[in-house]
Amino acid sequence: MKQTPEEKKIQKLMQPGTITLEGFLGEDNRHYHEIIEEDLRLLDKFGISKEQVADKLQDITDEAFESYDGITTLENGAKVEYVSVRGKVVSPFSGQRPAPKGFVKYLDPEKQISISWCPLNIRMIRDYGFFEGKGSPNRLEPELIYELFFK
Amino acid sequence: MIYLVLQTTIIMMITGGVLALLLVIAEKYLADYGECKIDINGKRQETVKGGSSLLNSLNSKNIFLASACGGRGSCGFCKCKVIEGGGPLLPTEKPFLTSEEISDNIRLSCQVKIKTDIKIELPEDIFNIRKYKAKVTGIKDYTYDIKELTLELIDSTINFKSGQYIQLHAPRYGKVKQSVSRAYSISSNESNKSMVQVIIRLVPKGICTTWVHEYLKEGDEVNFTGPYGDFYIRDTSKDIIFIAGGSGMAPIKSMLENLNENDSQRRLAYFFGARCKDDLYLSDYLYEFETKLTDFQYHPVISQPCEEDEWQGKTGYITPYLKDVIKDSKNTEAYLCGSPGMISAMVKGLKKYGISENNIFYDSF
Repeated sequence: MKQTPEEKKIQKLMQPGTITLEGFLGEDNRHYHEIIEEDLRLLDKFGISKEQVADKLQDITDEAFESYDGITTLENGAKVEYVSVRGKVVSPFSGQRPAPKGFVKYLDPEKQISISWCPLNIRMIRDYGFFEGKGSPNRLEPELIYELFFK
Repeated sequence: MIYLVLQTTIIMMITGGVLALLLVIAEKYLADYGECKIDINGKRQETVKGGSSLLNSLNSKNIFLASACGGRGSCGFCKCKVIEGGGPLLPTEKPFLTSEEISDNIRLSCQVKIKTDIKIELPEDIFNIRKYKAKVTGIKDYTYDIKELTLELIDSTINFKSGQYIQLHAPRYGKVKQSVSRAYSISSNESNKSMVQVIIRLVPKGICTTWVHEYLKEGDEVNFTGPYGDFYIRDTSKDIIFIAGGSGMAPIKSMLENLNENDSQRRLAYFFGARCKDDLYLSDYLYEFETKLTDFQYHPVISQPCEEDEWQGKTGYITPYLKDVIKDSKNTEAYLCGSPGMISAMVKGLKKYGISENNIFYDSF
Protein backbone atom coordinates (compact mmCIF):
# COMPACT_ATOMS: atom_id res chain seq x y z
CA MET A 1 0.00 0.00 0.00
CA LYS A 2 1.35 3.40 -1.00
CA GLN A 3 1.58 5.80 1.92
CA THR A 4 2.14 9.52 2.17
CA PRO A 5 4.90 10.63 4.59
CA GLU A 6 2.11 11.82 6.94
CA GLU A 7 0.44 8.39 6.89
CA LYS A 8 3.79 6.71 7.52
CA LYS A 9 4.28 8.99 10.51
CA ILE A 10 0.83 8.15 11.90
CA GLN A 11 1.38 4.39 11.45
CA LYS A 12 4.72 4.74 13.27
CA LEU A 13 3.19 6.74 16.14
CA MET A 14 0.60 3.98 16.58
CA GLN A 15 3.27 1.36 17.38
CA PRO A 16 3.79 0.20 21.00
CA GLY A 17 6.17 2.30 23.06
CA THR A 18 5.84 5.43 20.97
CA ILE A 19 2.91 7.43 22.35
CA THR A 20 1.55 4.77 24.70
CA LEU A 21 3.16 1.63 26.06
CA GLU A 22 0.79 -0.72 24.22
CA GLY A 23 0.24 1.38 21.10
CA PHE A 24 -3.01 1.67 19.14
CA LEU A 25 -2.95 -1.35 16.86
CA GLY A 26 -2.83 -4.35 19.21
CA GLU A 27 -2.16 -7.56 17.31
CA ASP A 28 -3.79 -6.18 14.19
CA ASN A 29 -1.38 -6.38 11.28
CA ARG A 30 -3.54 -4.26 9.01
CA HIS A 31 -2.68 -0.68 8.10
CA TYR A 32 -4.70 1.80 10.13
CA HIS A 33 -6.49 2.79 6.91
CA GLU A 34 -7.80 -0.74 6.48
CA ILE A 35 -8.94 -0.88 10.10
CA ILE A 36 -10.86 2.38 9.64
CA GLU A 37 -12.41 1.25 6.34
CA GLU A 38 -13.59 -2.06 7.80
CA ASP A 39 -15.05 -0.44 10.93
CA LEU A 40 -16.81 2.28 8.96
CA ARG A 41 -18.30 -0.42 6.73
CA LEU A 42 -19.66 -2.10 9.85
CA LEU A 43 -21.13 1.16 11.17
CA ASP A 44 -22.77 1.68 7.80
CA LYS A 45 -24.27 -1.81 7.99
CA PHE A 46 -25.73 -0.96 11.41
CA GLY A 47 -27.06 2.37 10.11
CA ILE A 48 -25.05 4.55 12.49
CA SER A 49 -22.38 7.17 11.88
CA LYS A 50 -19.05 7.70 13.61
CA GLU A 51 -20.35 11.06 14.84
CA GLN A 52 -23.34 9.36 16.50
CA VAL A 53 -20.99 6.92 18.24
CA ALA A 54 -18.73 9.77 19.37
CA ASP A 55 -21.70 11.82 20.62
CA LYS A 56 -23.03 8.87 22.63
CA LEU A 57 -19.65 8.12 24.20
CA GLN A 58 -19.13 11.82 24.94
CA ASP A 59 -22.54 12.15 26.67
CA ILE A 60 -21.77 9.19 28.92
CA THR A 61 -18.25 10.48 29.57
CA ASP A 62 -19.62 13.88 30.61
CA GLU A 63 -22.14 12.28 32.96
CA ALA A 64 -19.48 10.00 34.46
CA PHE A 65 -17.03 12.93 34.85
CA GLU A 66 -19.61 14.84 36.92
CA SER A 67 -19.62 12.01 39.45
CA TYR A 68 -16.07 13.01 40.50
CA ASP A 69 -14.45 9.59 40.34
CA GLY A 70 -17.48 7.79 41.82
CA ILE A 71 -19.82 5.26 40.21
CA THR A 72 -22.99 6.67 38.61
CA THR A 73 -26.06 4.75 37.52
CA LEU A 74 -27.44 5.94 34.19
CA GLU A 75 -31.15 6.04 33.27
CA ASN A 76 -30.83 2.69 31.46
CA GLY A 77 -29.43 1.06 34.62
CA ALA A 78 -25.84 0.97 33.34
CA LYS A 79 -23.10 1.79 35.83
CA VAL A 80 -20.36 4.17 34.76
CA GLU A 81 -17.25 5.45 36.40
CA TYR A 82 -14.75 8.07 35.22
CA VAL A 83 -11.28 7.14 36.40
CA SER A 84 -9.30 10.36 36.40
CA VAL A 85 -5.58 10.41 35.83
CA ARG A 86 -3.40 13.53 35.79
CA GLY A 87 -1.84 14.34 32.47
CA LYS A 88 -2.72 14.28 28.81
CA VAL A 89 -2.09 11.87 26.00
CA VAL A 90 -1.25 13.03 22.51
CA SER A 91 -2.97 11.70 19.40
CA PRO A 92 -1.17 9.85 16.61
CA PHE A 93 -3.19 11.94 14.15
CA SER A 94 -1.55 15.33 13.75
CA GLY A 95 -3.76 18.32 14.39
CA GLN A 96 -5.71 16.67 17.23
CA ARG A 97 -5.33 18.30 20.63
CA PRO A 98 -4.00 16.15 23.48
CA ALA A 99 -6.79 14.41 25.40
CA PRO A 100 -7.12 13.87 29.16
CA LYS A 101 -5.56 10.60 30.31
CA GLY A 102 -8.59 9.39 32.28
CA PHE A 103 -10.90 6.60 31.14
CA VAL A 104 -14.54 5.58 31.49
CA LYS A 105 -15.65 2.17 32.73
CA TYR A 106 -19.13 1.21 31.51
CA LEU A 107 -21.07 -1.82 32.79
CA ASP A 108 -24.47 -2.90 31.48
CA PRO A 109 -25.63 -5.32 34.21
CA GLU A 110 -28.60 -6.54 32.18
CA LYS A 111 -26.57 -7.46 29.09
CA GLN A 112 -23.58 -8.44 31.24
CA ILE A 113 -21.27 -6.39 29.00
CA SER A 114 -18.54 -4.09 30.21
CA ILE A 115 -16.36 -1.85 28.10
CA SER A 116 -14.04 1.07 28.73
CA TRP A 117 -12.81 3.97 26.65
CA CYS A 118 -10.77 7.12 27.02
CA PRO A 119 -11.40 10.67 25.74
CA LEU A 120 -8.83 10.12 22.98
CA ASN A 121 -10.96 7.22 21.62
CA ILE A 122 -13.88 9.62 21.21
CA ARG A 123 -11.78 12.15 19.29
CA MET A 124 -10.24 9.52 17.01
CA ILE A 125 -13.67 7.99 16.31
CA ARG A 126 -15.32 11.36 15.61
CA ASP A 127 -12.59 12.74 13.34
CA TYR A 128 -11.30 9.60 11.65
CA GLY A 129 -13.56 6.62 12.47
CA PHE A 130 -10.58 4.96 14.17
CA PHE A 131 -11.66 2.43 16.82
CA GLU A 132 -8.06 1.10 17.26
CA GLY A 133 -6.71 -2.24 16.10
CA LYS A 134 -7.94 -5.63 17.27
CA GLY A 135 -6.24 -6.65 20.51
CA SER A 136 -5.44 -3.06 21.48
CA PRO A 137 -6.39 -2.44 25.15
CA ASN A 138 -8.64 0.45 24.12
CA ARG A 139 -10.16 -1.15 21.02
CA LEU A 140 -13.92 -0.54 20.84
CA GLU A 141 -15.71 -3.15 18.75
CA PRO A 142 -18.34 -1.47 16.54
CA GLU A 143 -20.66 -4.50 16.99
CA LEU A 144 -20.51 -4.08 20.75
CA ILE A 145 -21.12 -0.34 20.53
CA TYR A 146 -24.17 -1.01 18.37
CA GLU A 147 -25.40 -3.72 20.74
CA LEU A 148 -25.02 -1.50 23.80
CA PHE A 149 -26.18 1.90 22.59
CA PHE A 150 -28.08 1.72 19.33
CA LYS A 151 -29.98 -1.61 19.10
CA MET B 1 -5.30 3.99 -24.43
CA ILE B 2 -5.86 2.80 -20.84
CA TYR B 3 -2.29 1.54 -20.81
CA LEU B 4 -1.04 4.99 -21.88
CA VAL B 5 -3.07 6.81 -19.18
CA LEU B 6 -1.84 4.36 -16.54
CA GLN B 7 1.75 4.73 -17.70
CA THR B 8 1.50 8.55 -17.65
CA THR B 9 -0.06 8.49 -14.16
CA ILE B 10 2.67 6.22 -12.82
CA ILE B 11 5.40 8.39 -14.36
CA MET B 12 3.82 11.53 -12.86
CA MET B 13 3.52 9.89 -9.42
CA ILE B 14 7.14 8.73 -9.47
CA THR B 15 8.32 12.15 -10.68
CA GLY B 16 6.28 13.88 -7.93
CA GLY B 17 7.66 11.52 -5.30
CA VAL B 18 11.24 12.03 -6.44
CA LEU B 19 10.82 15.81 -6.51
CA ALA B 20 9.31 15.81 -2.99
CA LEU B 21 12.20 13.66 -1.77
CA LEU B 22 14.73 15.96 -3.40
CA LEU B 23 13.11 18.97 -1.75
CA VAL B 24 13.29 17.30 1.67
CA ILE B 25 16.95 16.36 1.12
CA ALA B 26 17.78 19.82 -0.21
CA GLU B 27 16.03 21.45 2.75
CA LYS B 28 17.94 19.23 5.18
CA TYR B 29 21.40 19.24 3.66
CA LEU B 30 21.71 22.07 1.20
CA ALA B 31 19.63 24.95 2.60
CA ASP B 32 21.97 27.20 4.46
CA TYR B 33 20.25 29.89 6.45
CA GLY B 34 23.53 30.98 8.01
CA GLU B 35 23.59 32.42 11.48
CA CYS B 36 20.33 33.84 12.78
CA LYS B 37 19.71 36.00 15.83
CA ILE B 38 17.03 35.32 18.40
CA ASP B 39 16.06 38.49 20.23
CA ILE B 40 14.44 37.56 23.55
CA ASN B 41 12.34 40.20 25.32
CA GLY B 42 14.47 42.91 23.68
CA LYS B 43 17.09 42.22 26.36
CA ARG B 44 18.99 39.15 25.31
CA GLN B 45 20.33 38.08 21.95
CA GLU B 46 21.35 34.55 21.06
CA THR B 47 23.03 33.57 17.80
CA VAL B 48 22.07 30.18 16.42
CA LYS B 49 22.59 28.24 13.22
CA GLY B 50 19.48 28.69 11.07
CA GLY B 51 17.38 25.75 10.00
CA SER B 52 16.40 24.30 13.37
CA SER B 53 13.15 24.72 15.24
CA LEU B 54 12.84 27.57 17.70
CA LEU B 55 12.35 25.02 20.51
CA ASN B 56 15.60 23.17 19.72
CA SER B 57 17.50 26.41 19.11
CA LEU B 58 16.45 27.72 22.53
CA ASN B 59 17.35 24.36 24.12
CA SER B 60 20.83 24.65 22.60
CA LYS B 61 21.19 27.93 24.51
CA ASN B 62 19.96 26.34 27.76
CA ILE B 63 16.54 27.95 27.53
CA PHE B 64 13.94 25.26 28.13
CA LEU B 65 10.28 25.61 27.23
CA ALA B 66 7.95 22.90 28.52
CA SER B 67 7.46 20.09 26.00
CA ALA B 68 6.05 16.61 26.51
CA CYS B 69 6.26 15.28 22.95
CA GLY B 70 9.88 16.08 22.15
CA GLY B 71 9.05 18.67 19.50
CA ARG B 72 6.68 16.54 17.38
CA GLY B 73 3.99 19.22 17.46
CA SER B 74 1.56 16.99 19.27
CA CYS B 75 1.47 18.20 22.88
CA GLY B 76 0.98 21.95 22.41
CA PHE B 77 2.99 22.86 25.54
CA CYS B 78 5.88 24.82 23.97
CA LYS B 79 3.93 28.03 23.30
CA CYS B 80 5.83 31.26 22.86
CA LYS B 81 5.08 34.75 21.57
CA VAL B 82 6.77 35.56 18.27
CA ILE B 83 6.91 39.31 17.65
CA GLU B 84 8.85 39.30 14.39
CA GLY B 85 9.97 36.55 11.97
CA GLY B 86 9.10 32.89 12.28
CA GLY B 87 7.10 32.60 9.07
CA PRO B 88 3.37 32.06 8.76
CA LEU B 89 1.28 30.09 11.24
CA LEU B 90 1.26 26.42 10.20
CA PRO B 91 -1.82 24.18 10.03
CA THR B 92 -0.10 21.88 12.55
CA GLU B 93 -0.18 24.68 15.15
CA LYS B 94 -3.77 25.86 14.78
CA PRO B 95 -5.52 23.07 16.74
CA PHE B 96 -3.47 23.96 19.82
CA LEU B 97 -4.08 27.70 19.79
CA THR B 98 -7.15 29.71 20.76
CA SER B 99 -8.26 32.59 18.51
CA GLU B 100 -6.95 35.01 21.18
CA GLU B 101 -3.56 33.31 21.15
CA ILE B 102 -3.42 33.42 17.35
CA SER B 103 -4.18 37.15 17.30
CA ASP B 104 -1.59 37.62 20.06
CA ASN B 105 1.08 35.94 17.83
CA ILE B 106 1.47 32.92 20.08
CA ARG B 107 3.15 30.03 18.24
CA LEU B 108 4.27 26.48 18.96
CA SER B 109 8.02 26.89 19.19
CA CYS B 110 8.63 23.34 17.91
CA GLN B 111 6.88 24.23 14.64
CA VAL B 112 8.61 27.58 14.08
CA LYS B 113 11.69 27.06 11.94
CA ILE B 114 14.41 29.67 12.24
CA LYS B 115 15.35 30.84 8.77
CA THR B 116 15.88 34.55 9.51
CA ASP B 117 16.38 36.71 12.60
CA ILE B 118 13.47 36.40 14.99
CA LYS B 119 12.09 38.39 17.94
CA ILE B 120 10.31 36.52 20.70
CA GLU B 121 8.88 37.19 24.13
CA LEU B 122 9.30 34.75 27.03
CA PRO B 123 8.23 34.96 30.68
CA GLU B 124 11.24 35.92 32.82
CA ASP B 125 10.97 32.78 34.99
CA ILE B 126 11.77 30.63 31.93
CA PHE B 127 15.42 31.66 32.36
CA ASN B 128 15.54 29.83 35.69
CA ILE B 129 14.74 26.53 33.97
CA ARG B 130 17.80 24.31 33.63
CA LYS B 131 18.70 20.79 32.63
CA TYR B 132 19.78 18.65 35.61
CA LYS B 133 21.47 15.33 36.07
CA ALA B 134 20.65 13.54 39.32
CA LYS B 135 21.23 10.26 41.11
CA VAL B 136 18.31 8.27 42.48
CA THR B 137 19.17 7.94 46.17
CA GLY B 138 15.82 6.77 47.44
CA ILE B 139 12.70 5.00 46.21
CA LYS B 140 9.99 4.78 48.83
CA ASP B 141 6.67 2.93 48.46
CA TYR B 142 3.81 4.98 49.88
CA THR B 143 0.88 2.88 48.65
CA TYR B 144 0.36 -0.04 46.28
CA ASP B 145 0.65 2.37 43.31
CA ILE B 146 2.47 5.45 44.63
CA LYS B 147 6.23 5.87 45.09
CA GLU B 148 8.42 8.78 46.12
CA LEU B 149 11.77 9.26 44.38
CA THR B 150 14.65 11.17 45.92
CA LEU B 151 16.90 12.68 43.26
CA GLU B 152 20.24 14.05 44.49
CA LEU B 153 21.59 16.60 42.01
CA ILE B 154 25.00 15.91 40.53
CA ASP B 155 27.32 18.95 40.66
CA SER B 156 24.52 21.51 40.75
CA THR B 157 21.76 23.06 42.84
CA ILE B 158 18.22 24.08 41.96
CA ASN B 159 16.15 27.14 42.84
CA PHE B 160 12.43 26.49 42.86
CA LYS B 161 9.28 27.54 44.67
CA SER B 162 7.33 24.94 46.63
CA GLY B 163 4.50 23.85 44.33
CA GLN B 164 6.44 23.93 41.05
CA TYR B 165 7.13 20.85 38.91
CA ILE B 166 9.92 19.24 36.92
CA GLN B 167 9.89 17.31 33.64
CA LEU B 168 11.48 13.93 34.18
CA HIS B 169 13.01 12.30 31.11
CA ALA B 170 12.38 8.57 30.76
CA PRO B 171 14.92 6.90 28.44
CA ARG B 172 14.17 4.15 25.92
CA TYR B 173 13.45 0.86 27.68
CA GLY B 174 11.81 -2.46 26.80
CA LYS B 175 9.57 -1.84 23.82
CA VAL B 176 9.60 1.93 24.35
CA LYS B 177 11.36 3.27 21.28
CA GLN B 178 11.97 6.88 22.23
CA SER B 179 12.59 8.89 25.36
CA VAL B 180 9.65 10.84 26.78
CA SER B 181 9.30 13.66 29.31
CA ARG B 182 6.54 13.86 31.88
CA ALA B 183 5.68 16.52 34.45
CA TYR B 184 5.81 15.71 38.17
CA SER B 185 5.35 18.12 41.08
CA ILE B 186 8.22 18.46 43.50
CA SER B 187 7.32 17.13 46.95
CA SER B 188 10.41 18.34 48.83
CA ASN B 189 10.91 21.75 50.44
CA GLU B 190 12.28 24.59 48.32
CA SER B 191 14.94 25.27 50.96
CA ASN B 192 16.75 22.04 50.08
CA LYS B 193 18.49 22.99 46.86
CA SER B 194 20.69 19.93 46.47
CA MET B 195 17.92 17.45 45.76
CA VAL B 196 14.30 17.12 44.70
CA GLN B 197 11.71 14.54 45.62
CA VAL B 198 8.76 13.63 43.42
CA ILE B 199 5.71 11.47 44.16
CA ILE B 200 4.66 9.32 41.20
CA ARG B 201 1.51 7.26 40.86
CA LEU B 202 1.57 4.30 38.46
CA VAL B 203 -0.63 5.04 35.47
CA PRO B 204 -1.69 1.70 33.94
CA LYS B 205 0.32 1.33 30.71
CA GLY B 206 1.89 4.79 31.19
CA ILE B 207 5.33 4.98 29.56
CA CYS B 208 7.08 7.13 32.17
CA THR B 209 5.35 5.83 35.30
CA THR B 210 5.96 2.21 34.25
CA TRP B 211 9.64 3.04 33.86
CA VAL B 212 9.72 4.62 37.33
CA HIS B 213 7.77 1.82 39.03
CA GLU B 214 9.25 -1.19 37.27
CA TYR B 215 12.66 -0.28 35.87
CA LEU B 216 14.23 2.55 37.88
CA LYS B 217 16.62 1.53 40.69
CA GLU B 218 18.47 3.33 43.44
CA GLY B 219 21.86 4.46 42.14
CA ASP B 220 20.58 5.11 38.60
CA GLU B 221 21.22 8.48 36.98
CA VAL B 222 18.29 10.45 35.61
CA ASN B 223 17.82 13.71 33.71
CA PHE B 224 15.18 16.33 34.23
CA THR B 225 14.46 19.97 33.44
CA GLY B 226 12.77 22.51 35.66
CA PRO B 227 11.40 24.17 37.63
CA TYR B 228 8.16 24.90 35.79
CA GLY B 229 4.78 26.35 36.67
CA ASP B 230 3.10 29.13 38.60
CA PHE B 231 1.48 26.91 41.22
CA TYR B 232 3.02 28.27 44.40
CA ILE B 233 1.73 30.03 47.52
CA ARG B 234 0.84 33.67 46.98
CA ASP B 235 2.46 36.12 49.35
CA THR B 236 -0.65 37.22 51.26
CA SER B 237 -1.99 36.66 54.76
CA LYS B 238 -5.21 34.97 53.59
CA ASP B 239 -6.47 31.68 55.04
CA ILE B 240 -5.55 28.68 52.93
CA ILE B 241 -7.47 25.54 52.02
CA PHE B 242 -5.35 22.81 50.43
CA ILE B 243 -7.15 20.01 48.57
CA ALA B 244 -5.40 17.04 47.00
CA GLY B 245 -5.80 13.42 46.00
CA GLY B 246 -3.40 10.65 44.94
CA SER B 247 0.00 11.96 43.86
CA GLY B 248 -1.42 15.49 44.16
CA MET B 249 -0.05 15.24 47.68
CA ALA B 250 3.40 16.22 46.31
CA PRO B 251 3.21 20.01 45.92
CA ILE B 252 1.03 20.41 49.02
CA LYS B 253 3.60 18.52 51.14
CA SER B 254 6.29 20.82 49.78
CA MET B 255 4.18 23.91 50.53
CA LEU B 256 3.39 22.76 54.09
CA GLU B 257 7.05 22.04 54.81
CA ASN B 258 7.92 25.51 53.57
CA LEU B 259 5.15 27.24 55.57
CA ASN B 260 6.30 25.36 58.66
CA GLU B 261 9.94 26.30 58.13
CA ASN B 262 8.95 29.94 57.75
CA ASP B 263 6.81 29.79 60.90
CA SER B 264 3.67 30.81 59.01
CA GLN B 265 0.85 32.30 61.06
CA ARG B 266 -1.74 31.75 58.35
CA ARG B 267 -4.88 29.68 59.04
CA LEU B 268 -4.48 26.42 57.11
CA ALA B 269 -6.67 23.38 56.39
CA TYR B 270 -5.74 20.39 54.21
CA PHE B 271 -8.29 17.96 52.74
CA PHE B 272 -6.85 14.81 51.22
CA GLY B 273 -9.34 12.71 49.27
CA ALA B 274 -8.90 8.97 48.83
CA ARG B 275 -11.10 6.12 47.73
CA CYS B 276 -10.27 3.77 50.60
CA LYS B 277 -7.86 3.55 53.53
CA ASP B 278 -5.20 1.86 51.38
CA ASP B 279 -4.97 5.05 49.31
CA LEU B 280 -4.01 7.21 52.31
CA TYR B 281 -0.34 7.87 52.99
CA LEU B 282 1.90 10.18 55.02
CA SER B 283 -1.01 10.59 57.48
CA ASP B 284 1.12 10.59 60.66
CA TYR B 285 3.54 13.04 59.06
CA LEU B 286 0.69 15.40 58.16
CA TYR B 287 -1.02 15.17 61.56
CA GLU B 288 2.31 16.24 63.08
CA PHE B 289 1.93 19.63 61.37
CA GLU B 290 -1.15 20.22 63.59
CA THR B 291 1.27 20.52 66.50
CA LYS B 292 4.00 22.38 64.60
CA LEU B 293 2.03 25.02 62.70
CA THR B 294 0.07 27.73 64.50
CA ASP B 295 -3.32 26.95 62.95
CA PHE B 296 -3.45 23.83 60.82
CA GLN B 297 -5.96 21.00 60.44
CA TYR B 298 -5.51 17.83 58.40
CA HIS B 299 -8.71 16.17 57.10
CA PRO B 300 -8.39 12.88 55.24
CA VAL B 301 -11.69 12.04 53.51
CA ILE B 302 -12.49 8.57 52.21
CA SER B 303 -15.09 8.28 49.46
CA GLN B 304 -15.75 4.54 49.55
CA PRO B 305 -14.52 3.05 52.85
CA CYS B 306 -14.49 -0.76 52.94
CA GLU B 307 -15.83 -2.57 56.01
CA GLU B 308 -12.37 -3.86 56.85
CA ASP B 309 -11.10 -0.25 56.86
CA GLU B 310 -12.98 0.38 60.16
CA TRP B 311 -12.78 4.03 59.17
CA GLN B 312 -14.07 6.49 61.77
CA GLY B 313 -13.16 9.68 59.93
CA LYS B 314 -14.80 11.78 57.24
CA THR B 315 -16.48 9.94 54.37
CA GLY B 316 -17.99 10.78 50.99
CA TYR B 317 -17.00 13.81 48.97
CA ILE B 318 -14.86 16.69 50.26
CA THR B 319 -17.22 19.49 49.16
CA PRO B 320 -19.71 19.37 52.09
CA TYR B 321 -16.85 19.66 54.60
CA LEU B 322 -15.46 22.83 53.04
CA LYS B 323 -18.01 25.08 54.72
CA ASP B 324 -16.75 23.97 58.16
CA VAL B 325 -13.33 25.53 57.53
CA ILE B 326 -14.24 28.65 55.56
CA LYS B 327 -14.40 31.54 58.02
CA ASP B 328 -14.31 34.42 55.56
CA SER B 329 -14.60 33.40 51.91
CA LYS B 330 -13.22 36.76 50.70
CA ASN B 331 -10.11 36.14 52.78
CA THR B 332 -9.48 32.57 51.67
CA GLU B 333 -7.24 31.07 49.00
CA ALA B 334 -7.45 27.47 47.78
CA TYR B 335 -4.61 25.38 46.35
CA LEU B 336 -5.69 22.21 44.55
CA CYS B 337 -3.75 19.31 43.12
CA GLY B 338 -5.25 16.09 41.86
CA SER B 339 -7.14 14.47 39.02
CA PRO B 340 -9.09 16.64 36.57
CA GLY B 341 -12.34 15.21 37.97
CA MET B 342 -11.42 16.24 41.49
CA ILE B 343 -10.22 19.70 40.42
CA SER B 344 -13.43 20.33 38.48
CA ALA B 345 -15.64 19.29 41.41
CA MET B 346 -13.62 21.28 43.95
CA VAL B 347 -13.59 24.49 41.90
CA LYS B 348 -17.40 24.29 41.69
CA GLY B 349 -17.67 23.59 45.42
CA LEU B 350 -15.32 26.39 46.45
CA LYS B 351 -17.11 28.91 44.22
CA LYS B 352 -20.44 27.79 45.72
CA TYR B 353 -19.07 28.74 49.15
CA GLY B 354 -18.07 32.19 47.90
CA ILE B 355 -14.38 31.76 47.12
CA SER B 356 -13.41 33.84 44.11
CA GLU B 357 -11.99 32.02 41.09
CA ASN B 358 -9.02 34.41 41.31
CA ASN B 359 -8.15 32.87 44.67
CA ILE B 360 -8.29 29.25 43.47
CA PHE B 361 -4.95 27.93 42.19
CA TYR B 362 -4.11 24.64 40.48
CA ASP B 363 -1.92 23.16 37.77
CA SER B 364 -3.96 22.00 34.80
CA PHE B 365 -1.79 18.99 33.91
